[in-house]
Amino acid sequence: MDFGRSPDEEAFADEVRRFLAEHPPERFPLDGVDAGYGSGAHSHAFMRALGERGWLAMCWPEAFGGQARPMFLKLVLLEELALAGAPFGPLAGSWQTADAIIAYGTERLRRELLPAIARGEATFWQGYSEPDAGSDLLALTTEAKRDGEHWIIRGHKIWSSHAGVSTHGLVFTRTSREARRSRGFSMFVVPSTTPGMDIRPIRSLTGDIYHYEVFLDEVRVPADLMLGPEGEGFVALLNGLDSDRFWGRFYKAPALLRVLRRLVDYANTTVVAGAPLARDPVVRRRLAAMAAEIAALRLLFYRAACLLRDGAPITYETAVAKVYADETGQKLARLGLELLGPWGALRRGSRAARLDGDIAHAYLTSLGHTIAGGTAEVLRTTVAVRGLGLPAEPKAR
Amino acid sequence: MDFRPSSAQQMLVATAREVLRKECPPELVQRLALDPRGFDDTLWRRLAELGWPGLLIPPEHGGSGGSLLDVILLVEEIGRAGLPGPFVTSAVAGTTAVLAAAEADARRRLLPALATGERLVTLAVLESSASFDVDAVALAGAVPGRLTGSKLFVPDAHVAHDAIVAVREQGDVSLLLLPLDRAGLARLPLDTMSGEKLFELTLDGVAVSADDRLGRAGEGRRPLAAALTAGALARTAEMVGAAQRVLELAVEHARTRVQGGRPIGGHQAIQHACADLVRDVDAARGLLYAAAWRVAEGLAAEADVAMAKAYAGEACLAVARRGHQIFGAIGYCEEHPLHLLHKRIHAASLDFGDTPLHLETVARAIGLA
Repeated sequence: MDFGRSPDEEAFADEVRRFLAEHPPERFPLDGVDAGYGSGAHSHAFMRALGERGWLAMCWPEAFGGQARPMFLKLVLLEELALAGAPFGPLAGSWQTADAIIAYGTERLRRELLPAIARGEATFWQGYSEPDAGSDLLALTTEAKRDGEHWIIRGHKIWSSHAGVSTHGLVFTRTSREARRSRGFSMFVVPSTTPGMDIRPIRSLTGDIYHYEVFLDEVRVPADLMLGPEGEGFVALLNGLDSDRFWGRFYKAPALLRVLRRLVDYANTTVVAGAPLARDPVVRRRLAAMAAEIAALRLLFYRAACLLRDGAPITYETAVAKVYADETGQKLARLGLELLGPWGALRRGSRAARLDGDIAHAYLTSLGHTIAGGTAEVLRTTVAVRGLGLPAEPKAR
Repeated sequence: MDFRPSSAQQMLVATAREVLRKECPPELVQRLALDPRGFDDTLWRRLAELGWPGLLIPPEHGGSGGSLLDVILLVEEIGRAGLPGPFVTSAVAGTTAVLAAAEADARRRLLPALATGERLVTLAVLESSASFDVDAVALAGAVPGRLTGSKLFVPDAHVAHDAIVAVREQGDVSLLLLPLDRAGLARLPLDTMSGEKLFELTLDGVAVSADDRLGRAGEGRRPLAAALTAGALARTAEMVGAAQRVLELAVEHARTRVQGGRPIGGHQAIQHACADLVRDVDAARGLLYAAAWRVAEGLAAEADVAMAKAYAGEACLAVARRGHQIFGAIGYCEEHPLHLLHKRIHAASLDFGDTPLHLETVARAIGLA
């Protein structure tokens, strides 16, 4: 066993921290909101800066323009960025898309898209959910029909994060009707500017625009923008969802640690009834218990990371980690709101707001986290059925 | 980062699991739970033959020179099997105190018999404050002189040969190693809900001399802290092992218990409960291994150990309680193993510092004023 960073990882962490000191994250212009997951806001400028350092493609094989560095450097980068509150919203999605393209992308995707991802120019939205296909994703009705060297996509996607500011959509479609419900799906990488796509914002309960819905009306997509084998997109997507749970939440632990540190600082400097909040034994215990939970969360993700690195099978580990990340985040936001009292309810920019109104934002955004990317309920069922071998409920046909 | 035990550790765990499956079956655990002595001499000798009591002891004193991480993996299996007895008390905490405190001749005198399991030591630290904070030690110890007072919650004193007694000398803490049959010492049993063998140790003018010292006068703080750290981690491992067993039993029950024509584990209410058991056990285990690794590597680990113990105290107890709900009425029976595992977890959560004590350590470590 080994629970420390290797000398290489430590040296890389130093390099990242130096970069962040030289390029303070708050100076980068933002193009999409921070949805509270821990990866900050969507910022093309910040992504380009990461690209200039060579960090976006560092773990790709050399044949694809990478440096074949160990996967754990990506974890170091994510941790350091999250601890600093940097705006790297699209990063995990870009990496996942690149991995899929390297694994089974067409020549064109490899030639055109990988360099754009490496430079931090291409960012992606997911076109998976539909109005009537949420937890039951296979109920989706968006169809792609072959037309010579093109596919014509028709349908309606929803809850696509940052679709209005990202360059490409990953659109999951039905390409044939098969006896097995999970067959006949294919994935396309569709430039957001493709004619026929109408990308409309949905205002969230935070008051911000994070999600979009996308209407696809006779969208013509070249056949070589299909990602993965035709008709077997669901298998690819399932693997993608497993990795989505991992890469989409890995940075939650360091991001929560950052929030916890701010709350500790707040408790030390805020006097209530003549004594610092930090002297209240209940406050001390609750903050300390959160520190332990965040440390446990980090280790759940690192255990899953070791399995991913070693190519060991994953049945439930990322699902457990994702649910724990989201529920721990909700708990910390609740605790923060309680500690701040009436000030906790003040939004960013309000007169008298404390901690920049970040706790109110964290509280509101966290409500969506146990829903997005697989609800806590669906994932607990996954853990029980796939991880523990409990009998599945009868499937819909 | 690497979560895999070494091949030697894997072998230790596999052997432990097999031996305990054969020689410490649930029936034996049941019998010992109802037995006033709660100690099986034959089984203890068997474990001693395997070298378990000597795991932490260097080879030159008859042990195998293992790390605390090795011991933690072994104790996890002990917790999983529900093996009662003085292993953590003597072979982990007591032995760690001796290793950390004793000077050369005392090491030569004490360690070989500890390594073979022939000699058992217990720790007498707590007093009426019931706090494992070293500063709470108040029993006045004039050496040479006579000791009068009492120590509380002393584990396994009925089978131990000696007690490591923490006393206060001129404002500091000293350790004494007292044979439990010395005149003036009495062991009064406490009746615990877990069946753990705890005692009040009363000292009525017990004569002590410089020969009884374990380490130098006023230098007991460091070895005691080392013993408490090792004990806290071992008790955490016991909780994690016991919670793992609850998880295994609960999942098996959910798979096989049929009501209304289908296994209860086919219902989401039970599935989600089982998913939470996995989360709690895995999360507690991660903190345990990381903390034990840091101790074994000689890195600063005070906050890590405190987090691991505090976390397991909450999470493993939650596993036990949820387990009762999954098992329904059968889990309420004395003959069912669930309550023994539950009670063991509870006892372990109190030993070597309860959750509030460890959370206070964490609170300071994260910078709360």
